[in-house]
Amino acid sequence: MKRYLTFLSLLVLLLLGGMGASALQQDQPSTPSSQKASSTASASASHATQLTGEQVFQANCSRCHTPPMSIPQRATGTIIMHMRVRARLSRQDEQLLLKYMAP
Amino acid sequence: MNAQDADDSGNHAGYVPVVTGAVGYVHNVNAGVTTLEPQINPVLLVPFGSHLLLESRTEFTGFFQRENQTTGPFTGKVFKSVDYAQLDWLANSHLIATVGKYSLPFGIYSERLEPIWIKNIQDAPIDVNIGLRTSGAGDGFMLRGVATEQPGYTVQYSAYFSARSNINQLQAARTAGGDASIYLTHPRLELGGSYQRFLQDRQINNASAYVSWQPPSIPLDLKAQYDYTRTGNGYWLETAYNFDKLQIPSLLRRFQTVGRMQQFFALNGGGNGVPAINTQRFDFGLNYYIHDDFRVISSYGRSFSAQQDANIWNVGFTYRFVMPLWPERKK
Ligand code: HEC
Repeated sequence: MKRYLTFLSLLVLLLLGGMGASALQQDQPSTPSSQKASSTASASASHATQLTGEQVFQANCSRCHTPPMSIPQRATGTIIMHMRVRARLSRQDEQLLLKYMAP
Repeated sequence: MNAQDADDSGNHAGYVPVVTGAVGYVHNVNAGVTTLEPQINPVLLVPFGSHLLLESRTEFTGFFQRENQTTGPFTGKVFKSVDYAQLDWLANSHLIATVGKYSLPFGIYSERLEPIWIKNIQDAPIDVNIGLRTSGAGDGFMLRGVATEQPGYTVQYSAYFSARSNINQLQAARTAGGDASIYLTHPRLELGGSYQRFLQDRQINNASAYVSWQPPSIPLDLKAQYDYTRTGNGYWLETAYNFDKLQIPSLLRRFQTVGRMQQFFALNGGGNGVPAINTQRFDFGLNYYIHDDFRVISSYGRSFSAQQDANIWNVGFTYRFVMPLWPERKK
């Protein structure tokens, strides 16, 4: 039991630490290395407006694996369909991704 | 903004059939015993329009060891297994219906991390069989999709029922279960849980809780999973750090370091695919991305149990390929 508590508190600490770090980062002006962070920040700042395909890509495509640098255009539809099943993405996200990856 | 169907216009994405998957080679030394593991795992994707997808993955894995474990010539054989062969109907955002043989959505390892080109450390977690008996796959149907999508978060679900099958390449157990997770878009943090009831022979409850987190400001990937079953419980926690954002020469930016720790506690004598004794393990990995789809992998691990402490080494490479089967055919 004690070991779980240690593990859990470790995890919670890590999570809190990271959230703190990313919150701090977002307050700073954007530098090249924080570009990803600031694009998400602006995404959630503009609630009403739709996310762009790039933002959907940034937010999702590195969750499970290294994101592909390119996909042959004629296979983009097939692969994004596959990822929609795997990652349980919405139809809307799929459409935005397709516009971004195969404009 | 609720998840809803947008219209299909405005892109030039093609829907041709694709053969994808991975090839790889792992040279494994576990407690002094060497195993050579060449692998090829093709995935076939055949779309019918933009709402129906046929997908399957077959694994060909070779296991070659010295005749007397540490001496003699290498002998062994190649094993073939169909991981999944399923038809998906992508009805709308809220519903994707799958029939056939599918990977069980239990925790994040089996469905997401198991492909050799994805996993950061090649050896599966100690408690990997929890929730994945008997074959890691289910035969039957599964429903999955987005329960709700809001600007700051998304909630996903899956639910399945699998029938027992002993048919060659379609082995599965009678089980029912589900998985749900919430993904917080802004911190890129996903929290989820899975539940399964094993409905064959002796009925058993299995449960899992997991975290997956890629903080936007640091190139870190943190994943952890806790699993519980009647015969044992345990967790693994893995962090991977990519050098790609560091101010160092570009060739060095392709490195990735990985650390993983695991603890497993046997209950009721263990069994059912999990060890009979408590086991702990630490792994440290160093991977080098020659390209986004091609990497050289290496890892060192040490496992501790009352029976044996062992060193485990892995070196090798993985390559992910994507081959569209024929030229442009717009849907
Ligand atoms: C929930 C985890 C997850 C997410 C999120 C995810 N992928 Fe994948 N991806 C996978 C898995 C698992 C495979 C391997 C499938 C297999 O081997 O059965 C894969 C395979 C791929 C492949 C190889 C071709 C194929 O279809 O198998 C490409 C390309 C790819 N993903 C791109 C993407 C892109 C682009 C995104 C962002 C929309 C994305 N992935 C998001 C899990 C994920």
